[in-house]
Amino acid sequence: MQNEKDLFDMLKEMYPQHPRKEFVSATENTLRQRARSMRKKRILTKFSVISSSVLVCAFIFSWLIFFNGNGKVSEIIHSFGGASSSYAMDEKEPVVYIYHSHNIESFIPELPAQQMYRERAYSDTKNITLVGKELSRELEEIQVPSIHDETDTAGILKQKGLHFPDSYKVSRENLQKVLAENDSIRMVFDIHRDSNKRRDSTIEIKGKEYARIRFVVSKTNGNFETNKTFATQLHEQLEELYPGLSIGVIEKEGNPPNTYNQELHDNSVLLEMGGIENTLEEMYRTTDIFAQVLKDILEKSK
Amino acid sequence: MIDSNNLESRIVEIYNLYYLDVYRFLVCFTGNQNDAEDLTQEVFIRVLKGVSNFDGKYNLKTWIFSIAKHVAIDHYRKKRFTSLFKDGFFNQLSSNEKKPDEEFEVTELKLLIHDAIAKLKPNYRAVVILRGINEFSIIETSEILQCSEVKVKVDYHRALKELKRKLNIEIEGVLTNAK
Repeated sequence: MQNEKDLFDMLKEMYPQHPRKEFVSATENTLRQRARSMRKKRILTKFSVISSSVLVCAFIFSWLIFFNGNGKVSEIIHSFGGASSSYAMDEKEPVVYIYHSHNIESFIPELPAQQMYRERAYSDTKNITLVGKELSRELEEIQVPSIHDETDTAGILKQKGLHFPDSYKVSRENLQKVLAENDSIRMVFDIHRDSNKRRDSTIEIKGKEYARIRFVVSKTNGNFETNKTFATQLHEQLEELYPGLSIGVIEKEGNPPNTYNQELHDNSVLLEMGGIENTLEEMYRTTDIFAQVLKDILEKSK
Repeated sequence: MIDSNNLESRIVEIYNLYYLDVYRFLVCFTGNQNDAEDLTQEVFIRVLKGVSNFDGKYNLKTWIFSIAKHVAIDHYRKKRFTSLFKDGFFNQLSSNEKKPDEEFEVTELKLLIHDAIAKLKPNYRAVVILRGINEFSIIETSEILQCSEVKVKVDYHRALKELKRKLNIEIEGVLTNAK
């Protein structure tokens, strides 16, 4: 018994050295079945992942078609309400509509070098639409629901074979549609990039540079008086907070006469912001302030 | 990564290669054919679940045995306070058909060894069986038990020493009683 080998030989002989035959085949079958059901489960998981993503895609697609129609409005309805006190917060419906009749107006510092000509300060991607988007986002942050129309107006012009002055006709279609669908809209802004030189389009406040704003009102539209009052209110509010940021209210007739679609709403104003030499950052600083001004006015007029 | 289409054939192949080794380890560990069969099945079900993630960093056989060792120790913990271990052993022995006196001698000795093994703590038991019965090398054993080679050597020697000491005491005891 001192010998290890004897000990192990004994041990080996002690117990049945083979499992029962029935057990061996039964276990093999069990394993086969389990392997099969695992495979089925995997296929099922794969299938359900694929089918649910197809469903989600179909839903989004139909949602886009249903809400946007042929106008291709990509509406961002910011309706993050809350129990807080302000006017806008009580409303879940959009109160501000932002659009761009000249959506490709851009900024030279944001463009690649080969586009650095004055007449070429246009871009299909890096353009004034980003500024409107930022304004919409900032409004959302302070619980003012808005709709930002990102329609590629210039693209539609090209598609339909129209000319640049027809931009307002194109942007008008969506504006009319949105106003008809949302009687909650209280303010309408057509945001453009101004064409002033940098020294006129920029102002330094507390060490930071901001793009300046001009409010343009069409003299030839039926709502001229109310639009002018609204524009003046915006200008004065800005003057109070950041003197010099607003250049003022400009009355235009347009050549040929243009209403800038302002007859469609009482509080409709065309914004000219910054210039081709401004950066998006300078623009965004201004929209930040402007968003707060809008909220103040909405609360006051409640 | 194993293609799920091949999973079935893959697990059957693995099972047929290794079930006997796994069973022998477990039958020595538990001392009971029924338990050993149940646990063998349990081991291969765990292998099936893990095989698609098995990355080949380890040897397949030592990987399977590390599962078997876990299954065996889990089983030991569950049965710790029950006497099923012994009962199973007695039932099995009584089914052997041999001549009465011969049977008695063999049975007596087997019982001693069985008891001595059963009294070893589970880690020692695993080392002894892996090295002695399954004839794994020291390196393989250290992979299965996930410890150093030195620990395998030390544990193996201590376990054997304890086993022999127990057996000698028991045998002496039996002889004394017989006188």
